[in-house]
Amino acid sequence: MSTTKSQAQPKSRLWGWLTSIRLTVHLLLILAAVAILGAVLPQEQPAEVYLSRFGDTWGAVIWRSGLANIYFSIWFLAPVCLLALNILACLIHGLPRAWRRSFTPLSGEAALTLPQRARLQWPRGTDPREAVAGIWRRELGRTRRQAWPGNEVFYHETGRFRPLGPYLVHLALLFILAGGLIGKFWGIEGSLPLTRGGTAQSFLVGGAEVPLGFQVRLDRFQVQFYEEGGIPKEFRSDLTFTKNIKNPQGGRELRATCRVNEPVSFGGFTFYQASYGTQPEDQVRLQVIQGSRRESLQVPLHQWLTLPGGEAQIMVIKVEGNLQGYGPAVQLAYKSGPEHPLIFWVLKDHQDMQEQIGPYRFALESANFQFYSVFQVNRDPGVPWVYLGFLLLLPGFYLAFFRPHQCWALVLEESPQGDWQGRLLGSSPRAREDFDLRQTRLLEELKKGTPS
Amino acid sequence: MSQLLGVAMLIYLGVAIILVMAELWSSPLMQRAGRGLLWAGLALHSGALIGRWYASYRMAAGPAPPPVFLEKLRLVILQAPLSNYYDSLVFFSWCLPAMGLLAFRRHLQGWLGAIVAMLACLLLAKASFGGVNANIQPLMPALKSNWLLIHVVVCFLGYAALTVAFGAALLYLIQDYSPREALPALPMLDRLIYRAAILGFFLLTFGILTGAVWAETAWGKYWSWDPKEDASLVTWLIYAALLHARRLKGWQGRRIAWLAVLGFLAIIFTYFGVNYLQSMHAYMT
Repeated sequence: MSTTKSQAQPKSRLWGWLTSIRLTVHLLLILAAVAILGAVLPQEQPAEVYLSRFGDTWGAVIWRSGLANIYFSIWFLAPVCLLALNILACLIHGLPRAWRRSFTPLSGEAALTLPQRARLQWPRGTDPREAVAGIWRRELGRTRRQAWPGNEVFYHETGRFRPLGPYLVHLALLFILAGGLIGKFWGIEGSLPLTRGGTAQSFLVGGAEVPLGFQVRLDRFQVQFYEEGGIPKEFRSDLTFTKNIKNPQGGRELRATCRVNEPVSFGGFTFYQASYGTQPEDQVRLQVIQGSRRESLQVPLHQWLTLPGGEAQIMVIKVEGNLQGYGPAVQLAYKSGPEHPLIFWVLKDHQDMQEQIGPYRFALESANFQFYSVFQVNRDPGVPWVYLGFLLLLPGFYLAFFRPHQCWALVLEESPQGDWQGRLLGSSPRAREDFDLRQTRLLEELKKGTPS
Repeated sequence: MSQLLGVAMLIYLGVAIILVMAELWSSPLMQRAGRGLLWAGLALHSGALIGRWYASYRMAAGPAPPPVFLEKLRLVILQAPLSNYYDSLVFFSWCLPAMGLLAFRRHLQGWLGAIVAMLACLLLAKASFGGVNANIQPLMPALKSNWLLIHVVVCFLGYAALTVAFGAALLYLIQDYSPREALPALPMLDRLIYRAAILGFFLLTFGILTGAVWAETAWGKYWSWDPKEDASLVTWLIYAALLHARRLKGWQGRRIAWLAVLGFLAIIFTYFGVNYLQSMHAYMT
């Protein structure tokens, strides 16, 4: 970026402001402040959370002003957009020059105009050229030289492409920001719960169903724990994707295993193993006790079932894995005659708490649960741009920070009497420390061969 | 192994004291002794890390380690001791002398060396006495990724370089407000802040990138505005501002030093503060 002074015309004053480093530093610090707010204030919670935590006045202020969703509010987006403009302006402003500089290698003539660093003199009659060439090669690597009658210049340039480094970095940042925007506007993300054997042709995006354009089936879902009730070890979903929905046999099929950290892509969407849950199986086993008669029944969920004897009907409304700490339980509705149905819980592990309902008593023999798998389903066309940015950042940083630009030249001049004199020239606009070190070493080496 | 760490902690404490005394008595011999001892502490610390790595690998491999070399290698990579709060404290502490001795060899003596050794000692003390669960825990599924090793290593090396910048900035500010003979010269400190900030910024950037790629494969989102991500963004922005201000606006000295202190506070928040917020990155124990 550059530090152009603004001129009198309004247009160039605006341009000067847009390309100024002062704007960049201010924007970076403003964004840092906004991001601190975003890290400290809970984000994307319902309004009640803010009202109860910060009081009616401040809660309302936070909610109304967009601070509750700060990264998608003007507080964050405005400085980010301005920063993008700032970066773009600096790219337009400085890139052509940096490009020209990078693709204009140091020439013998240009080397002569470098600032002078030291003078050297050789005794009469010694021709230092071969010795210098050797030192030059040893200390700096590849040697280039150009000779005129009576003088000769050795020169060397490192980090010629350094000026491109910062532009590469900033271009990369623009790609990342653009990728973020593309993802925001053209991307889609939702979730998809699937039970074992279940199929889906759509997924849920904020409560609405969005078609996938293909069918996905969960063939198998496994949850492994390191130890009972401890840390989960692995979630594994075996999926089958079918391209042709109308004719499942004819279409393209893909079988794949989706694990955490191992997403599966199909038909433009990517499936991530996000979480899992449990749900009761389709039926429970109940014992119906009538006097001394006991009968074991397989009862489907949510369906009226006529009890033995035909006097009443029951329906399983709800199954709980652990009802208020009392263990597995089912909620039953009991209907006998025209009255309102009776609704009550039956606990598996506490049969003594069970009351007599009409002529019956009920006991829960088994209520089994199965795991279901929840997938995050995404399509984000911005990701390639973001990754392109990531890839550009690395060479950009390397050039910008670890390849200092240095130019060196040693001009040898022979006087008519046959004396050789030398001038060491060099410049390094950004890396003084390295430059000074190398200058000391070069002079040491050069002076070794010159006793005077 | 915890005994090894205890010894390393005492050594770091000793190094800090010796280096301060060396500075007060301007004794080159003690400087050398302090640095030699710091190397020894780092060697012990490395030994403890490798020991924990091995123990963690053995625990995961169980009685039947995978027979194929590549699977074994993958398990070794996964089981690097970097997965909980205790591990991270021990590793952060290791990074400080390692980074100092390897990247800032010439400057790591006297007061700066003492600051680095003292911080390493404090981090180990926090790990040992701070009520942090030191058990090796099995990895939860989200952490089972090759990115774990590179993401964590790069991030903490970055933190370490930026801590060196903070140490130099602290000395700069002290020296600037009340000049003392014993402290390093201002221009040297100024350059050191800048160099350390460049290295740290590069590593931090790389750490954020690897984290983003990992998040994309694990959760399908390269960035989810998690508090740790926000805090690391804040840190990144502060150091970006520092580098721009110094390189292009020609800021030097005091203002840059204050920015380096501010950036370090952001790192402290990123590392410790986020554990108190709801975050996917919060350490569980």
